[in-house]
Amino acid sequence: MPMRILTAVLRTIRNSPRLAIGLAILLVMVLIAVLSPLIVKGIGGSTDPLELAAYERWLVPGPGHLLGTDQFGRDVLAMVVSALSVSLQIGAIAGVISTVVGVVVAFVAGYKGGWIDGILSTFTGILLVIPTFPLLIALSAYAKNVSLFQVGVMISIFSWPFAAKTIRSQVLSLRSRPYVDLARVTKARDLEIITTELLPNLLPFIGVGFASSALGAIFGLVGLEVIGLGPGGVIDLGQIIFTAISTGALTLGAWPMFVVPIALLTLLFAALNMVNIGLEEVYNPRLRGVAGE
Amino acid sequence: MTAEAPPEEAADRTQDSAPSPGVRAWMARHPLAAYAVRRFGLYLVELWGALTIAFFFFRLMPGDPIQTLIQSLQQNYIYNAQASAEIIARYRSEFGLDGNIFSQYLKYMEKLILHGDLGPSLISYPTPAQDVILRALPWTIGLLGIAAVLSWIFGLALGAVAGWRRGKLGSRILTNLSIALSHVPFFFVALILVYVFAYTLGWLPARSAYDSNISPGFDLAFIGSLLKYGLLPGLSIVLIGTFGWILSTRMLMVPVLGEDYLVYAEAKGLKPWRILTRYALRNCYLPQVTAFGISLGFIFNGNVLVEQLFNYPGLGTTLVTAIQQLDFNTILGVTDIAIFSVLTAVLLLDLVLPLLDPRVKYWK
Repeated sequence: MPMRILTAVLRTIRNSPRLAIGLAILLVMVLIAVLSPLIVKGIGGSTDPLELAAYERWLVPGPGHLLGTDQFGRDVLAMVVSALSVSLQIGAIAGVISTVVGVVVAFVAGYKGGWIDGILSTFTGILLVIPTFPLLIALSAYAKNVSLFQVGVMISIFSWPFAAKTIRSQVLSLRSRPYVDLARVTKARDLEIITTELLPNLLPFIGVGFASSALGAIFGLVGLEVIGLGPGGVIDLGQIIFTAISTGALTLGAWPMFVVPIALLTLLFAALNMVNIGLEEVYNPRLRGVAGE
Repeated sequence: MTAEAPPEEAADRTQDSAPSPGVRAWMARHPLAAYAVRRFGLYLVELWGALTIAFFFFRLMPGDPIQTLIQSLQQNYIYNAQASAEIIARYRSEFGLDGNIFSQYLKYMEKLILHGDLGPSLISYPTPAQDVILRALPWTIGLLGIAAVLSWIFGLALGAVAGWRRGKLGSRILTNLSIALSHVPFFFVALILVYVFAYTLGWLPARSAYDSNISPGFDLAFIGSLLKYGLLPGLSIVLIGTFGWILSTRMLMVPVLGEDYLVYAEAKGLKPWRILTRYALRNCYLPQVTAFGISLGFIFNGNVLVEQLFNYPGLGTTLVTAIQQLDFNTILGVTDIAIFSVLTAVLLLDLVLPLLDPRVKYWK
């Protein structure tokens, strides 16, 4: 079984260079994140490069400090590397939670239909029209000192409806397929049909849901931080951008402090979007070649 | 997307409540009117639900706005009298913060629906929150509206060309660029633009909406200043927004290009330009107009940060200021306006679309 899944994944990737590039970029970023403690150690040598006043303040990029240092004399490269790891973790936590909630809601609504679907879909629809940003800001008032996991949970409260909406429409179209009817005729139970017949066919769309929730979560947190309302103690890429703006890195010409985090996040968003479109292309034959060859 | 789901739900609900035979017969005779009524009913339910969720959400936020108000009054007016319990109670009732949360909710909804009153604001007390919002609204509509229209036009044009010349190198580069960049936050682009054009080169101003030395008025100097100050924030939105529209237009274009009537048009000897604009692009208009309407409703969401960065006096900046000072009425008011505009945009499109496109049919 694992072999079968692996070969299926490999075949999918071979069919879509876009998906392959997106996944490759993600993989490299995850690797950097996993190795970030080692990288940070490598940069600092005997001193901790993230320590306040580890070096001189506002050093320009040079051989010693590839990206210079910030207002507290910390090495920007080391900061960026460890912040990337935090950003990815937030995205992963929020992505997993909102995908799970979204999948459960979508399956209950789409498979059961009727009034349950009516209520759940109206509720999802209502949540979708409330602008997320003010709500997130309100939530941040609770979150002065919270752990990384709690931040992830907080953000996923608002990102699950997107996942639910995408997956529900797919459940609706799969529900009436002949093989589902066949399973129903053979007296398979609902849960059995959902796990063995529907879920495997929905994996790519669940992947899409995960990628977009992760994207939304990371951006949501960056947004909060940029206006100075980020949770304390969580230093991700957005926090570095905020520090750069608030300490006047713009006027001091300390460009690496905001250009590098922005470039990394842009790359991350691009990779997630490539995965999204790649998956849809591969599994939605109507779109094949439509989004680009 | 939103256009398809709600009518089914509306249909479900009407079936559940089992209308009397007379109503059913009337609905059968007037499908369009029945659809409109159902759709409007759903609109009201969604509006009520969203406003209610928003209300309770913000009321459960920690922090006491009355204390903040009294502090700021003391600072501003050297208001030396200690805030007595009586004064606090008066402010509480004025801000609609007295009584339990349900009576607060009923009072808030009553004032909102019957009088369009959002309660007094804190950031410029005693101006009502709706006045604060109305003052900021033209800036947001002006900046974001123009930027949204421009990115839609550019995106449609470039997307059509990208679809028309699909497979060609230029088109492929454009498509891939759009995929990579369409989800980049406007704010990032804005930050880079500010750094390059305002701080490094010093060509354009970095903050505010117009030169404070020029008095606002309908003259060339003021409009020139508006354009100069709006260029950077506008550009950052247009740049990224265009990529999104390129992608969706191209996705709509490509299937149309395979249709028989295009082959026929070509066989008739029509010029390619005419085929592109009159035959192919026309079929992408409608979905894109719909999408544009929906995006106008959501436009506020992604642009708070851009306004905040440029200190543009629009809704986004107002929202951030309101949050920093715990101004519940204004925060909730801005949220309510965003909810109202999204739902109304979607409603209008759902109602108008069947009239514009004979293929769109929601009712049975």
